[in-house]
Amino acid sequence: MKKLQADQGMLYYLVKSRNPKIAQKIKETGKVETIVVGLGGQGTRHAELMQQYGTTITSGIAPGKGGTRLMETIPVYDNVKDCLKKHPYIAAASIWRHYSTAKDATIEIIEAGIPLVTLISEGIPLKDVRDIIVAARKNNTMLIGGNTPGIIFPPENIKIGMLPDIFYPEETSSNSFGPKGVTIISRSGAILYHLSDALASVGIAQNAVIGVGGDGAIGSTFRELVPVVMGYKHTDLVVVAGEIGGYQEELLAEDIKNNPKKYPKPIVTLISGANAPEGKTMGHAGAIVSPGKAYGTFQSKKAALESVGIPVVNSQYDLIKEVKKKLNNKTYFDVNNYFEKMKSVWDAPPKKVGWGTLITKVEPNNLIISGYSLQDIVKQKGFLDTAFLLIEGEFPDKKSLEDIRKIAITAAKIPAPKIKRLKDEDISKTLVKYLLVDEKIAKFQGEGVNKNVEKTAFAIGRMARFLACALGNEKTLENIRDNEPFSHIIYRAITGNEKADNKKSKMIEAMITACVDHGVTPPSAQATLIASSTRAAYEVAVAHGIGAITDVHGGAGAKAAEFFDECILKSKKEKISLEVATRNLMREYIESGKRIEGMGHRIHNKDPRRDVLWNFADQTGVAGKHVELSKMVTKIFSQVRGMTLPINVDGVIGAIVADMGLDPSIAKALFIYGRTAGLSAHYFEEIMSQPRMRRINFAEAIYKGRKLRKVT
Amino acid sequence: MKLYEYEAKKVFDRMKIPIPKQYGVIHSLKDLDKLNIDFPVMLKSMVLSGGRGKAGGIKKANDLHEAKKLSEELFKLKIKGFPVESVLAEKAVDEISALYIGVTMDPADFNNVVIASSKGGVDIETVASKTPDAILKKEIPGNDKTLPKKIAEDLSTKLVKNLSGKKSLQKEIEDVISKLYETYQKFDARLCEINPLIITSKGLVAADAKLVLDDNSLYRQVELLEMLGIKEKRHDVSERTKNELKAQTSGFPYVDLLTEDHIKDKKKLYVGLVPGGAGYGIFSIDEVKTIGKRYFQDRVIPINFMDSGGGPPQNRVADMFHLLMDNETVDIIITSRFGGISSCDVFIRGMVQAILDRFESKRRMIPIYGRMVGTDLPSARAFLEKTYAENPEAMKNVKIVVGNQKIMADVIREGIKEAFESRGWKV
Repeated sequence: MKKLQADQGMLYYLVKSRNPKIAQKIKETGKVETIVVGLGGQGTRHAELMQQYGTTITSGIAPGKGGTRLMETIPVYDNVKDCLKKHPYIAAASIWRHYSTAKDATIEIIEAGIPLVTLISEGIPLKDVRDIIVAARKNNTMLIGGNTPGIIFPPENIKIGMLPDIFYPEETSSNSFGPKGVTIISRSGAILYHLSDALASVGIAQNAVIGVGGDGAIGSTFRELVPVVMGYKHTDLVVVAGEIGGYQEELLAEDIKNNPKKYPKPIVTLISGANAPEGKTMGHAGAIVSPGKAYGTFQSKKAALESVGIPVVNSQYDLIKEVKKKLNNKTYFDVNNYFEKMKSVWDAPPKKVGWGTLITKVEPNNLIISGYSLQDIVKQKGFLDTAFLLIEGEFPDKKSLEDIRKIAITAAKIPAPKIKRLKDEDISKTLVKYLLVDEKIAKFQGEGVNKNVEKTAFAIGRMARFLACALGNEKTLENIRDNEPFSHIIYRAITGNEKADNKKSKMIEAMITACVDHGVTPPSAQATLIASSTRAAYEVAVAHGIGAITDVHGGAGAKAAEFFDECILKSKKEKISLEVATRNLMREYIESGKRIEGMGHRIHNKDPRRDVLWNFADQTGVAGKHVELSKMVTKIFSQVRGMTLPINVDGVIGAIVADMGLDPSIAKALFIYGRTAGLSAHYFEEIMSQPRMRRINFAEAIYKGRKLRKVT
Repeated sequence: MKLYEYEAKKVFDRMKIPIPKQYGVIHSLKDLDKLNIDFPVMLKSMVLSGGRGKAGGIKKANDLHEAKKLSEELFKLKIKGFPVESVLAEKAVDEISALYIGVTMDPADFNNVVIASSKGGVDIETVASKTPDAILKKEIPGNDKTLPKKIAEDLSTKLVKNLSGKKSLQKEIEDVISKLYETYQKFDARLCEINPLIITSKGLVAADAKLVLDDNSLYRQVELLEMLGIKEKRHDVSERTKNELKAQTSGFPYVDLLTEDHIKDKKKLYVGLVPGGAGYGIFSIDEVKTIGKRYFQDRVIPINFMDSGGGPPQNRVADMFHLLMDNETVDIIITSRFGGISSCDVFIRGMVQAILDRFESKRRMIPIYGRMVGTDLPSARAFLEKTYAENPEAMKNVKIVVGNQKIMADVIREGIKEAFESRGWKV
């Protein structure tokens, strides 16, 4: 069924009555933006239920949780001001704060100018509620509650609060919902189910349901709300559900008597409590307030309402009868559809629990980072740009890029601690040692808006230094100029050449960038995520990931480079063509049970990073025999084994590294270096959007990031 | 939460509202000997109810002998269901005239309101209905912490004019009004009242004091409660019944609709309710009553209010059914589970737990009629079906409609009809 357009619905109408500017925005975007204030257990849970129902949750507000994410995708701000800076058109808020802090939080929202505020919190001291009401009146806010189950708009599929999905709208055709029906305004939440149930059982639709709240003082009473909802042209009748206690029903009757024009549509009231024991809370002071009037009992309410011609019922049967009578037996939908729908809602199998990441989408032959395909990124952007993208979800502007370049340069300048690298020690182990011994990263605190990126940039700078030391190239970093491109620093650290070569620097940067991330499932990302879930320090979590990069994971490039070397050597030595030499060597490898690395991939049969790196190698002029071989190797393999095993990114990088005359082990160093950025992104995402020490099922992760877009 | 007069006076005293000299609170006649009383003395029954004077709960004694005699009478009194367990002894004051001053919240628009009258000392409700002009009312729409001076001045001036009193008196009254308002705000009161505020030859005295605190604010009124020696929230409505006490122990709201000495009418059907949330708890009582009246010659009596909503744990659900089945008066139970957010599954398991427990231990069993819809319906339905199959004997009088094809009113009506038929009663 197609839901009603937002700007045709009652909620739009309510928002428009208080803030036409925001209403105009709803018209343009078709979205009613809401925020969830208070992200304890209840607020968090209902944010999800609201979103599932169809509500647009733009952000969450919770002091101390600013910068984290709700449901992994929705930004959370410390306060509403920060939120409005980025999202100026918030139409409604639901407030879930604890009663002891609800007052300040609610007043903050009201004073920020949000037109519709639903106060769910219960048990708020009366004095605080009065302060909230005073603020709402001053700011022309439509305040619903406190202690309300919320409001729900079935035709538009929007709810703000905790009412369940049981209210059925008008059907205008076999596949779309319409705006007409009765509007229910109620003091109790539990009774709503039974009202709706009764009406739906005879085909009467509900276009909106408003819980006014059960507290002693509330933001909007029957007297205020009934005329407002009657102003919505599609409301045919209003059901007012009152109960014993309080004064609202009598006041409504009085207002109907004094201002009949405000009430142009039929009303049916249901008052419960006819047989309840004498109202125990009814005191003495109240009676004085309105001299000469007794109120608060079933009888007083019934008498008051009936005296102005409003029918009062207190059973489901009578409700059905009176409403049908007033609507001349009109029905709004096929009752069977309602039963079918409720059956499908209640019988739905439990939802599969997955978890989300906004960083990288991994699909066969495609890697998407925050909406950009990795091959495009490698082609057009540098390593620092990409690190920024991984963490912030957007590429940096010029200034931000320059800021992080400076940070990286500063970090690269600081000498590294003295670490001994044993002979044949895995480069990953050496780098882990540096990460854990060096205290500079731990001490670094970003100052700007993008603290997480700054920390990452600092780590990238430090890692360049560590790499230079581990590879014995520290000397090349003695004179770093402040205005130097960072790719030159990387080039010197990796190659040991004092003088940076622009083209070769670019080639190296491209290979690093191609390795930045591969989603949450590679062992290195898993290791970092597990450490992050226990809230390990940043550098510790990243070290966990890097420690997991070995010959088995991420080390294929080096092995491929060695294999290619061997092939080339064989062809020279035996004076046979490279193709034949490779074919023969492959046979030898296979016969002796050795693996040929750099080929095949668990997901890609055409590695998305392959062509862009080959092109780079051709354009920068570094491509030689190794690259040439890397382009043939898939075909040769199939001649040997009769099956297709495509070259992967490791194989390509191994070939390029070898053609650049670098030690094969550099291939793994490049992989680790690139992955530092991705691991950082996973670290920050985990601590920002997931509960501590959660049980992580890596296979269940779902990409919830940006849709595919073009790098510009 | 209502405070006793002597407690309210302690608060007033701290806020520098003049009160009569307090000799002490006695719990027995012997306690009177310990007090150092300058007679005549007022002896006031300490109960949490109004109308004490009319009920004979306030006496004046001129000597110790008389004081003992009167106190003895007071300790025998029960005022609106509250037994007199303590008596306040305070200095009797000479009265020239009596005022009324009260601060509360207007239930219409939720503004604070100060009410004053020069006709104090009598039932103010009567004054309000008979001579509304004698009541002065001022609303304070800003929820100010302290009363704007102009309002206090205005009210006191009018009062003094009505009394044709002196100018100095006006200042004193203004001061008391301001302090009473401040007390109301500072201690999160729902009601602060002095009736009467007596004008003596030496000035004003609050002869009575009424202070009702907002239950929602008790958590932050620690110092006040400490000062008064109150350790936990007081049950200030009326004495609880045995069932209500049991329910409280199990942790769910429950109210008996019949008195404990109610004698069961054998010709009527008594219905216990396990209804869902509080709103439907109240409504379902009406439903049962109305259906009984309309279709069953008014021979159906709902016996309880219960709030079983909000996702109670399984044990608590079982306790709800036990409580009603243990009650010999109850003939059938009607239950409704609308699992909006809470689970049907937990609910049905709780119900079944109670039924099977009782079946095995041969405790009293009565038929249950009900309906179940909402969250976790498939697992709840599967569990119910399995229970029916495995325990047909225990479950034979349990009829739960699954799904919403029938509204609750139909379920109630059909349940009652079956109960009537099984008794051979005319339907």
